[in-house]
Amino acid sequence: MVPPRPALSFDHLGFVIAVLIGIALFAAPFATYRATRIASGEARLVIEALPFSMAAALALVALGVALGAVLARDPLGRLGSAVIGLAVLLPSLGLSAGYLTPADNNFARVSPSLGFWLLSLSFSLLAVDALARMRLGPFGRLAALAVGASALALLLLSGIWDDLSILKEYDTRADSFWREARQHLLLAFGSLAAACLFGIPLGVASHRLRTLRTAVMQSLSIVQTVPSIALFGLLMAPLGAVAASVPLAAALGIRGIGAAPAFFALFLYALLPIVANTVAGLNQVPAAVVDAARGMGMSARQRLLGVEMPLALPVILAGIRIVLVQNLGLATVAALIGGGGFGAFVFQGIGQTAIDLVLLGALPTVALSFGASVVLDALVDLSKGTTPA
Amino acid sequence: MIEIDRLTKRYGATLVVEDVSFNVEEGTLTVVVGTSGAGKSTLLRMINRLVEPSAGRVLIDGEDTRTIPEDELRHRIGYVIQGYGLFPHRNVADNIATVPRLLRWDRKRIAQRVEELLDLFQLDPAEFAHKFPHELSGGQQQRVGVARALAARPALLLMDEPFGALDAVIRSKAQDDLIAIQRRLGATIVLVTHDMNEAFHLGDRIAVMDQARLLQYATPAELLMRPADDFVERLVGTVERPFRLLSLTPVREALEAGHAEGEPIAASESLHDALSRLLWTGRKALPVADSSGAIIGRVSVDKILQHGRPLP
Amino acid sequence: MTATSLVRLIAFLLLAAFITMPQGFAFLFEPLIAPGAPAIYNQGSLLVLTLQHLRTVCLATIASTVLAVALGIFVTRPSGAEFLPLSRSLVNIGQTFPPIAVLAIAVPLVGFGEKPTFIALFLYGLLPIFENTLTGLTQVSPLALEAARGMGMNARQRLVQVELPLALPVILAGIRLSVIISLGTATIGSTVAAKGLGEVIIAGLQSNNIAFVLQGGLVVALLAVLIHDGLGLVERVAARKLGRFLNEVP
Repeated sequence: MVPPRPALSFDHLGFVIAVLIGIALFAAPFATYRATRIASGEARLVIEALPFSMAAALALVALGVALGAVLARDPLGRLGSAVIGLAVLLPSLGLSAGYLTPADNNFARVSPSLGFWLLSLSFSLLAVDALARMRLGPFGRLAALAVGASALALLLLSGIWDDLSILKEYDTRADSFWREARQHLLLAFGSLAAACLFGIPLGVASHRLRTLRTAVMQSLSIVQTVPSIALFGLLMAPLGAVAASVPLAAALGIRGIGAAPAFFALFLYALLPIVANTVAGLNQVPAAVVDAARGMGMSARQRLLGVEMPLALPVILAGIRIVLVQNLGLATVAALIGGGGFGAFVFQGIGQTAIDLVLLGALPTVALSFGASVVLDALVDLSKGTTPA
Repeated sequence: MIEIDRLTKRYGATLVVEDVSFNVEEGTLTVVVGTSGAGKSTLLRMINRLVEPSAGRVLIDGEDTRTIPEDELRHRIGYVIQGYGLFPHRNVADNIATVPRLLRWDRKRIAQRVEELLDLFQLDPAEFAHKFPHELSGGQQQRVGVARALAARPALLLMDEPFGALDAVIRSKAQDDLIAIQRRLGATIVLVTHDMNEAFHLGDRIAVMDQARLLQYATPAELLMRPADDFVERLVGTVERPFRLLSLTPVREALEAGHAEGEPIAASESLHDALSRLLWTGRKALPVADSSGAIIGRVSVDKILQHGRPLP
Repeated sequence: MTATSLVRLIAFLLLAAFITMPQGFAFLFEPLIAPGAPAIYNQGSLLVLTLQHLRTVCLATIASTVLAVALGIFVTRPSGAEFLPLSRSLVNIGQTFPPIAVLAIAVPLVGFGEKPTFIALFLYGLLPIFENTLTGLTQVSPLALEAARGMGMNARQRLVQVELPLALPVILAGIRLSVIISLGTATIGSTVAAKGLGEVIIAGLQSNNIAFVLQGGLVVALLAVLIHDGLGLVERVAARKLGRFLNEVP
């Protein structure tokens, strides 16, 4: 009913993005140079941070993207200009690091500064907006994620960013990085698996028994309100006591300090969404369908596995998505009680006021949570597609 | 008087309302009837400018509605929609007080008006004033919706399928109540419906719309006797035509001198009801009483049947 | 109902007693500590720390509520509609940021102390409130809005008298979620030298004193449960007026 808009017209969001790009190019430093790892930083504008030809090329491309953002309404066109912008911006950050670092100097550090962050923010906003308007299906979103992840991997593997401070931090702790990464994933996915193994049957039982449901939900939602660091701390005492009195437990690695209380706390946090969504998923299975299944002589077990669970799957998966994103974030806190994970870098970085170290812990966490949420959102959509609503 | 003058609404290349003109006399109830998608609701919404006309104008007592600020115009026009749109966070009294409050009436006057309206709609103020919409039955919600629209004594009441959400039994009672209230207040009403029975039951005049155009605007009797085209004839319903005609004619019109046995029928009732009584009781004629109850003559089957066909 | 209110009352009294005169509870913690170590946190007043903790959370929540509700209103108006799809995706993406990451990134920018904690709480608190404001405003019954327009309410009157009151329970739920997350995140704020109950826990972790950890954890947990409960009560009152009933399960 609404008259179609002309393909070229003024776009408010595009205008905001264009203004951001303008500020980033001309008024904000592109990179920060520090003579040593902990020296204070010196700001470098785009024109100072890159050889002249590169700086001019980057500025031209960025202005082109700004123009596209204001004028192009077609999402595909906007996405295209955002991708071109990122394709020029990201490698040029690495080039800038190489350009600013004096030859044969291992102490100087170059890190991205406000201008770079604003540019990448503007381009990403444009891309995210275009993707949101394109309403991609689950496979489309997975493909977009795969493309983004491969591009990132390519940038990292090509060595073009090797002169950046965050990768120099990585270089000096490559071993511990992968060890903490493994630990982080173990904590997040392990506690998720345990919560599913325990929570889904508990959810099924709670769906059947009203009294059990009330009790389970109430106690789990109280657990959910306890702040993570407090829960980690609270669990240290009983687990420490267990370790002291049961030698076998201690031999299994259960200790008051370390991964065990963190694992257990994440498991407890994960239970509520899993149980609640299992119950909600089973509740929304149409009564007529269950009735028909009973009428055809399916046993209780056949009904549960063949009818109810498949129909409840999308809701249960949505619960798993919540838990996974939550766990990947909370696992960073585990480092506080010696549980390891990416949080170790974050807290070390805070202690040394080394932002690069903080980012070394924070960025992979954010990337993991983001990837996990895209993949699970797609799975939720796919499971909806295969089960008739 | 409401004058609708060559109203047209266009969305892109699609005409939703095309060049519709008719006048609504003060104190009458006009029904706009047609199939869904005929443009009835759009026409109604152009009267209070919820939809801006692409062309044409609406005059209320000679005043062009385009010269009145939108919101002010709507304060002066009551509006009832299917489902009513009562505010769930406000109780009945506050819902009814909506427009008077927008007009900054003083508190006493508002309270008085709310009470008056609750009485008019047979809702006991002590019981209903503080109830919330979710605590009301469908019929009660409908009455609150109409009361709210009438609160600031609007010059005109627009109703869009106001009975659409009610079940059959409550609906016919609500229709009778609306007629009674309209007579009592002398209100001017334009009502949209897709239901021909409702149109004949309520309308002083009926506007038939199809595919964005006004096909015929006439009294119910004229619509039956002289349909403008085949579509109107079909819509009016050839099978029910004689019975509709009888429903529109009061017993008074077929009164004849003479005596008859049985329970008298009021002169103001319809010939349709009289015939129904005669068929059921197996008599040939019924005595007719005036409003005071005195017998003034009789009505016979033969005479009734004469009224069920167009005049030669 | 009465049983739960009794539990609430007892929890509140216990909490109040503990933070005002912690020494009275020393006997409970003594079995947990090494001989000679203090049983009760001794580097500051629990009461003062609790109040500082609450103040940070409260200020941050007020700031995020003001901005998030304003933004939510903006993107649901015709003039802000172009920002709606983007803001929805940003909320989804924003929620994948762990609060600790936000805190950690704020430190190098503004230094140690209250400021990075406030920024982290403020930014992270925006998301649930913004999301719920959006949900609340977009699920207002179109019928009620049509009626409001038909009765001649202007855009501002519709917003203030119809849309916001109808969205209120959902917005309140967002604020509650935000407060609970902030209570926890503020604890971690103590790793960047913000004043608050996290200090007690961190001190316990550093000196290997389980009793301290337990005290800090218990006070924060009780605060969280009580505030969660209290705000839930406010929400139920707001929702009941609308004839909607929140799930029996909080």
